[in-house]
Amino acid sequence: MEKKLGVYICSDCGIGDSLDIEGLQNATRKYQPAVCKTHPFLCSQEGVQLIKDDIQNEGINTIVIAACSQRVNQDVFDFDPLTYVTERVNLREHVVWVQPPGDENTQLMAVDYLRMGITRAMKALPPEPKKAELEKTILVVGGGVAGLSAALETAKAGYKAVIVEKAGELGGWAKKMHRTLPSRPPYAELEPPDIEGKIRAVEENPDIRVYTNASIEAIDGEPGMFDVTVSSSGSSETFRVGAVVFTIGWKPYDATKLEDQGYGRYKNVITNVELEEMANNGGLKRPSDGGAVQSAVFIQCAGQRDENHLPYCSSVCCLTSLKQAKYVRDSNPDAGAFIIYKDMRTPGLYENFYRSAQDDEGIFLTKGEVLGMEENPDGTINVKVDNKLLGAVTTIKADLVVLATGMVTNMVPEEREPNNLTDEFIGDIVEKQTQDGIVKELEPQSIVLNLKYRQGPELPHLRYGFPDSHFICFPYETRRTGIYAAGAARHPMDMASAELDGAGAALKAIQCVELTSQGKSVHPRAGDQTFPEFRLESCTQCRRCTVECPFGTLDEDEKGTPREHPYRCRRCGVCMGACPQRIVNFKNYSVDMISSMLKEIDVPEDEDFPLIVGFICENDAYPALDMAGINRIQYPPNFRFISLRCLGGTNLVWIADVLSKGADGVILIGCKFGDDYQCHFIKGSQMANERLGKVQETLSRLMLEADRVEQVQLAINEYDRLPEILDEFIEKVKEIGPNPYKGF
Amino acid sequence: MAEETVISPDIKFIRELKETGGETLKKCYQCATCSVVCPISPDDRPFPRKEMVMAQWGMKEEIFSSPDIWTCHNCNDCSKYCPRGARPGDVLGALRQRFIKEAAVPGFMGNLVTEPKMTLVALAIPLLLFLVVLGVTGHLGIPEGRIVYSKLFPIRYIEVIFLSAVGLAGVAYLTSLSRFWNRLTRVNGRGYSKAFVPALVETITEFLKHSKFAKCEANRDRKNGHLLVFYGFVGLFITTLWITFYYYVPKIHSPIPLSDPMKWFGNLSALTLLTGSLIVIANRTKDKGINTRSSSFDWTFVIMVLLVCVTGILTELIRLAGIAALAYPMYLVHLTFVFYIIVYFPYSKLAHMGYRTLAIAYSKMTARDVEA
Amino acid sequence: MGQDKGILVVGGGISGLTTAVEAAETGYTTVTIVEKNPYLGGRVAQHYRYFPKLCPPYCGLEINFRRIKQNPAIRYYTMAEVEDVSGSAGDFRVRVRQSPRYVNEKCTACNACVEACPVERPNDFNFGMDTTKAIYLPHEMAFPMRYVIDDRHCKGLECSKCVDACKFGAIDLQMKPSTVELNVGSIVYATGWNPYDAARMDNLGFGRIKNVITNMMMERLSAPNGPTKGKIQRPSDGKEVKRIAFVQCAGSRDENHLPYCSAICCMASLKQATYLREKVPDSKATIFYIDLRAPGKYEDFLRRVDADENIVMIKGKVAKIEEDQATGDVVVTAEDVAGGKKIQEGFDMVVLAVGMEPQTRTREFPGGLRYEENGFIDVEQPAGVFGAGVAKKPLDVTSSVQDATASAIKCIQTVAGGK
Repeated sequence: MEKKLGVYICSDCGIGDSLDIEGLQNATRKYQPAVCKTHPFLCSQEGVQLIKDDIQNEGINTIVIAACSQRVNQDVFDFDPLTYVTERVNLREHVVWVQPPGDENTQLMAVDYLRMGITRAMKALPPEPKKAELEKTILVVGGGVAGLSAALETAKAGYKAVIVEKAGELGGWAKKMHRTLPSRPPYAELEPPDIEGKIRAVEENPDIRVYTNASIEAIDGEPGMFDVTVSSSGSSETFRVGAVVFTIGWKPYDATKLEDQGYGRYKNVITNVELEEMANNGGLKRPSDGGAVQSAVFIQCAGQRDENHLPYCSSVCCLTSLKQAKYVRDSNPDAGAFIIYKDMRTPGLYENFYRSAQDDEGIFLTKGEVLGMEENPDGTINVKVDNKLLGAVTTIKADLVVLATGMVTNMVPEEREPNNLTDEFIGDIVEKQTQDGIVKELEPQSIVLNLKYRQGPELPHLRYGFPDSHFICFPYETRRTGIYAAGAARHPMDMASAELDGAGAALKAIQCVELTSQGKSVHPRAGDQTFPEFRLESCTQCRRCTVECPFGTLDEDEKGTPREHPYRCRRCGVCMGACPQRIVNFKNYSVDMISSMLKEIDVPEDEDFPLIVGFICENDAYPALDMAGINRIQYPPNFRFISLRCLGGTNLVWIADVLSKGADGVILIGCKFGDDYQCHFIKGSQMANERLGKVQETLSRLMLEADRVEQVQLAINEYDRLPEILDEFIEKVKEIGPNPYKGF
Repeated sequence: MAEETVISPDIKFIRELKETGGETLKKCYQCATCSVVCPISPDDRPFPRKEMVMAQWGMKEEIFSSPDIWTCHNCNDCSKYCPRGARPGDVLGALRQRFIKEAAVPGFMGNLVTEPKMTLVALAIPLLLFLVVLGVTGHLGIPEGRIVYSKLFPIRYIEVIFLSAVGLAGVAYLTSLSRFWNRLTRVNGRGYSKAFVPALVETITEFLKHSKFAKCEANRDRKNGHLLVFYGFVGLFITTLWITFYYYVPKIHSPIPLSDPMKWFGNLSALTLLTGSLIVIANRTKDKGINTRSSSFDWTFVIMVLLVCVTGILTELIRLAGIAALAYPMYLVHLTFVFYIIVYFPYSKLAHMGYRTLAIAYSKMTARDVEA
Repeated sequence: MGQDKGILVVGGGISGLTTAVEAAETGYTTVTIVEKNPYLGGRVAQHYRYFPKLCPPYCGLEINFRRIKQNPAIRYYTMAEVEDVSGSAGDFRVRVRQSPRYVNEKCTACNACVEACPVERPNDFNFGMDTTKAIYLPHEMAFPMRYVIDDRHCKGLECSKCVDACKFGAIDLQMKPSTVELNVGSIVYATGWNPYDAARMDNLGFGRIKNVITNMMMERLSAPNGPTKGKIQRPSDGKEVKRIAFVQCAGSRDENHLPYCSAICCMASLKQATYLREKVPDSKATIFYIDLRAPGKYEDFLRRVDADENIVMIKGKVAKIEEDQATGDVVVTAEDVAGGKKIQEGFDMVVLAVGMEPQTRTREFPGGLRYEENGFIDVEQPAGVFGAGVAKKPLDVTSSVQDATASAIKCIQTVAGGK
């Protein structure tokens, strides 16, 4: 495609007052734009018309708008992205609002930005959409409350669903419930379980196929074309689905580890799950002798909120014990049910249920700690409680002691301890013989999904085995595109929430198959129609891209050459940054593009004016710089910022480019990483950081100091920290001294 | 940590409390707002939060050993601010009532007086007794001539009946009080910072000033009603002593002329009591949202007080009007109510006097009292 | 697919935005958001950070705004309220009234008008802790990035200084309210919440004692774009806060106020304690609570905060707050239940953890909505009408997003069922 460049410079919002517009225009000459125009109000109708006329009359197809931030007026400068390349050069927020007007350095900065912007535009091509007829059936893994809800909602929305359930029947835990928590206002009374109705609805729905006694042998492929092999009752079958809802539910914490709380030691100590079964099968009795239950003690947080067992809270046990206390009371009007809690957690409108349970004269509640238990000859148990409300030790004689044990996600296999899991994937650390000698490596274990992904067979997990997701704002976004977790597998939740969660995940699955079939990316670059392209002939099989992709997009052939699965891709460009051979590129985002932009920076020979290139993430650091602009926060003119889709796309080549050009330092500004990561691509800023750990290698070749490169973690609202961060970095660079390549 | 207790749920006690006016007790979720807003709750182990949990758990022994249920003056600041509508003020009131019944010597008297449905029986007993005595001694009938009540009911009879009854009640009350004291000291016993007598003197001084009542926020008017009732009773007690003195020393016998200072004093006391009880009743019927929900036990007592006053005043007025046919029966009715108030006092609401005195004195001895 | 009439989302907070974006991205429906504020983002926009990751809400909002900007299927009206709803599922007719912004699409956000404007108004975005001019940008991250005039304070045509200052002709002081008629297939009420009016708790001193503030005010005080640029200073004298108390359940779990638990206040106070501890190293925070509710994985955050020895947690509700007239300190009384003592302690500033009151508790919305006893939108609604987020019950952000996404599928089924 022949590029026809039009450059449009807006002179207002202070741009014209601060900068020499003619100078800017002169700077564009080198690129021989078909048109280069200045307008005092470019975002006005007339301004936009000016551009449109040029498109019409001059055949402009590459539009560079040197005005305000790309974050504003997007709807105004909106030219069909499949036909035109539009590039915004931010002279307002990133230059004139943060630099002194009329200053030579301000002008130099603006010129650099303009030249870089033109270069970016010239190096970019419109994406070629990749539309395809893809499979839109949704696979639901797990037929509990969340799974049934996901399948039903999917079918109601007009899609087909397949449920794969490992048990012999649908319903999961809900089927084992004697009563369920109140699901509607006033949230005060227990309800009979309505799971049978849901199961029937699923079974009767022609759009839902159910496999019971089934397991998944393999899931291969990508959104829109996942090939699923299910084995059920001895036979196995392979079919194609478009996306997956992952609702594999939970298991109770292994109570045999709670011997210190009497479990296994005394017959009349049972778990809340066992009590539920008992209530369902003929009522409450003392396990020791089948005697009546006159007094029951519920011990909350049994093995929970406890770093030796489950460090987290399972959210529902307080409610469950209140519910079960009502069973005790219903079975015998003179019986007492004691609940010993750390904190009574009945959030939101469930407070009403707490109130209704409290009103029962035979339910006794206290904040307390169990100090010990003793079995009496008649099988009853004396529970010694430090009653925190009374400030006294009280002993309660109990026929039945119920441990409120917690929920463990089924992501964690039976034999593993949730508080002691290997990172990302559950598995064993094994020693492997490689060229570099023996290395310790994690061998991930197959649990449920059996994904044929190079990185591992399951969803990468966070602490305690819960799937990694872009929790808080985008909780359904796991690290496997097209696979959405819901229900208690995702985090501990009650049945009503699980039902809702299943519905939400179903929406995400539908959205995924729809966007994918239009060749569009899903969150967070929803709608992006570019795809990474691999020049495989230059690949050295270093496997960096296949290891680093946060979404497990790339598999490998036997030699280690990446195998693409474009529909798994989220377009972050981490692979592009990872590749030392520069073989990964997008039509409008490439290693060469950024390298070429870097070449356009005019590095002053003045040794007292260190020039620093900043790579910034466009989701957080770029807006933060905008905020600095809106607040007219001034910062030094020594920086040239280049925005990246994600900091994880930073290629070390660029750092070499910058420094060998004579610039004095490189700063990477991106989101926070670690446990509380803020990266929308989950691992991007962390990948950048890990890569920088290896920058020394590159810099030693250039005989330069690694300190010239630094990564700063900045949240989007921390624009107030910018001047300090930038000043400090300049000081640091000044201390190191000018780049010896200056002037070459 | 205090000493260990073994709990087995006493649901019966909880039900009784609920029936006695503490129906909200289970609503408490132990936020401790009540202990903070209560103007007379001490900093050390404040109340009524812990009393609420003890009540919820049916811990009768523990709670009946607490001085704090008596320290409570029922201001109901706690009930006003209680976020759960648990109305600790009412619950403590119910506990006091239960305690009075529980501590009654002999036990059946507790039932007779604290159970509202027994009230008519309780009133019938003195009335029948009077009628029997009058019948046996041949005094039944309206005497002729000037209305002199001793013509119907000679002073000697009254003295014998009332002194022996009050004597018995007094002994019973002292027994209950001493048991209460033993409980207090046994369960809560610890080092005393003050001796009993000075603590008692301080307590009584406080009562005379009603200074604890003055701290009430939510229910300010309660102080006035209670103060007038209190002084009304004190005045009538003094009047009784005075009239006895007249009878035996200067041998001045009833009816005593209206001009006599004793008569002034007696009438003034009666009016004080009347006003006080009317204020109390008015306060209770006023809907202040937060106001204490009076139990029937409370109502019985205050109505008795009102009736004593009204019948007393009527007895006097009818006598002055010279309507013998009305005056003598009215006198008999009045005596019945007087009997109720002064003979049944260890089992009625009045019993709180002794318990509260001991409880506050005890709190002062253990440095848990709030400066009034 | 039947003819798509689209979805109306009432409320442009995190729940409304989520429902709108998630539904629109399925590709077969249009969505219209009606928001009463001059900006989208709702309550979360006023927050400094989210618990438990301590990340800024704008990080996620930025992504959502970008999804809106690039998706022509999403329209939005700010300063707009639904006035009337008629019809039924699949064919609702909705009348939306849009208040005048007095600033049109020509605004470039250059700020010249603000420099010219002579009038100040209390800044409601910062709960009145500072002022803006009568023409103002709600906050620097506001979307849409457009100025607005507060007509309760603007002197109007007689002044017109802003009009003269604007080079772009973006200010129209004669702008009138307008009405928009919409025809939609389904309606989602994501009307969110207001902080409960803290002045109604007479024993907690808010409104009487200057250094007693609410948790939402604490968010603004801590935010870099707040009234103190992120310095935690007490309102009475601007003194740096070193001793702070958090009063939990201020109005929540209280039958005299909000009988329910607001679900988020414990975590919010734990979070806000970290604000102070991070900004003022020698500070101390005390949290007075009834039950510490940090459900699920939030427990990790509670443990992390609890590990800071300068953050003390005391079981016992604060029921009395008084002012030390001489120092401006705030004296708090509570029963330390575990210690069996009533304690009185002075603090530089006290934060009331006030709860969430649904908008629908204080205001009725058209559309035949059904409410539960506290004013939340009930589970059962007329066909085609749904609630989302805190309009339905007290929820944290991530649960609101979960709920809003589930509402999105319900809408899709209504407008495009039988695809």
